Amino acid sequence: MKKHSVLLKEELCEGCTNCVKNCPTKAIRVHHGKAIIKGELCIDCAECIRTCAYHAKYSMTDSFADLEDYAYPLVLIPPSFYSQFRKVSPLEVKNSLFKLGFKEVLDVSLAAEALSIKTAEFLEEHHGVFISSSCPVVVRLIRLLYPELTEHLLPFKPPVDVMAEKAWQDVMTRGISPEDIGIFFITPCPAKYTNIFSPLGFEKSYIDKGISVDQAYQAILEVRKEDNSAEKAGSGKDNPGKASPVEGTQETVLPYLGMGWGQSGGELRIMPESMQERSLSVSGIHRVKALLDEISRNNIKGIKYFELAACNYGCVGGVFNVVNPYQARFNLRRLQVKGSRPVEQDYGQYNYDLPGKFEPLRIGQLDTDLEKAMAKFMQLEKEIELLPGLDCAACGAPDCKTLAEDIVNGLASRSDCIFLLRKQVGELADRMSALAHELPPVMKKEKKDR
Amino acid sequence: MQEKLILQNKIERGDFARGGETSSKLKELLRKLGVPSDKSRRITIVTYELEMNIIIHSHGGEIQAYISSEKIKVVAADSGPGIEDLEKALQPGFSTADDEVRDMGFGAGMGLNNIQHYSDDVEIETGPGQPTRITATVYL
Ligand code: SF4
Repeated sequence: MKKHSVLLKEELCEGCTNCVKNCPTKAIRVHHGKAIIKGELCIDCAECIRTCAYHAKYSMTDSFADLEDYAYPLVLIPPSFYSQFRKVSPLEVKNSLFKLGFKEVLDVSLAAEALSIKTAEFLEEHHGVFISSSCPVVVRLIRLLYPELTEHLLPFKPPVDVMAEKAWQDVMTRGISPEDIGIFFITPCPAKYTNIFSPLGFEKSYIDKGISVDQAYQAILEVRKEDNSAEKAGSGKDNPGKASPVEGTQETVLPYLGMGWGQSGGELRIMPESMQERSLSVSGIHRVKALLDEISRNNIKGIKYFELAACNYGCVGGVFNVVNPYQARFNLRRLQVKGSRPVEQDYGQYNYDLPGKFEPLRIGQLDTDLEKAMAKFMQLEKEIELLPGLDCAACGAPDCKTLAEDIVNGLASRSDCIFLLRKQVGELADRMSALAHELPPVMKKEKKDR
Repeated sequence: MQEKLILQNKIERGDFARGGETSSKLKELLRKLGVPSDKSRRITIVTYELEMNIIIHSHGGEIQAYISSEKIKVVAADSGPGIEDLEKALQPGFSTADDEVRDMGFGAGMGLNNIQHYSDDVEIETGPGQPTRITATVYL
């Protein structure tokens, strides 16, 4: 089964080790000039896609062609998607998606507003510190590198899954048969795509397909172009044009406040001020890691809730986005301010609770048996001692310590280190030269004095 | 398995830049050794408190960590000046950190009480003008 959506195009990889050094979980090695991702360590954060100058790292999602597989396709729009448009309003975006063939176009922002309110209530009622669980990369990072903090993860589903379940139930009550329903999601990042086939904390996602933001963006622009030319040509008769919404989109109040979730801090803004005062937003994978280090050693005091996002500035920083995160933040903020309060809705209509648990992972131990692990550890110390400690990554591992670990685990050898190799070659050369000066016994005559 | 030394770090007074280094190293080590994360978390918190105590309050010292099949043991030994009133120092929220240190976010409410809270066993040898030696244990 497919486990990840960040992949490598081997033919493009130059073996430069930029991704190796920047991967937050040290999941990448370069062997034989090609990068290899260790699946069990990859959290789909897409940092390697960002750092690769050769565009060898990529991610593939589903596409609009998949709509044909369903008689009743519907689409969920993430809050961040609207940030991609400066002149196209959310309503126009939704209209275009109808024209692209979706029977329903739903805002995740709506569930996001409800979830924020629910979260604030939960936090009031529960003792202790909590970490938001809506960014799948953060959840994966915690399970892998901070397993001791999994119990602090908020036990709710991400807004997109809350919305998907609700959408599914609504459609079912309308008597549409399950196999006809196809729930699509426009995803800003590979990790949210991964969550469709490999969800966290529950068995099966209600979402069937994920289409990357760039594809959706392109498709919407094209629909709008067609509309415009049709309008100009005066054939507006069988084309509704951009002014009149297609069936299904009413001029209702949009969840503008919920759209703010698309950037870091947006979740908190929906909460009561008293909770905002006790919460903190942090975004960017390396900053999130540094923060988790502090939380882990109990060095952060007085904070009740952490809103964390792996991408810089939150989902607006996702790799599938088209617009740069700065422009996107600006665009989104202009929408966010239109909502002074959450849309009125029945918060009881959603199912927020995570059916399962976020399980801590136990990966990276030298051995399952303490004694054996200890023996390996001693060996590891020795290997670290031998290596030069320059962390040059020329061996294909991110740093000397990781190479040492790979050596101990039988996955690499000392001569992978160019400095050790040079030393070995040097020693060999010395020995050769010494040997070259040795003479065969017959020629080993004492020099006679003349 | 017999007790083995797994970590040894010298710590200097006032070396805030290195605050947290020992506990981070220990955490990473325990992960490699396959120690369950809840135990590792507790001893990491304790070690962090111990190293910050040495940085803030002592003339400098050293931390050693040991592991055996039964337990993880951390020993923090400094060269003084010792704890004046141990009983008082063990009260919740007590900290001798001065205001400047508190402002940095260190030292406030942390200390011996917290160390006691997170360990299964704590031994403290100290006295006014004496070196301090704290041994904290978490059982596996
Ligand atoms: S997606 Fe992130 S975790 Fe996975 S290999 Fe790339 S950088 Fe590492």
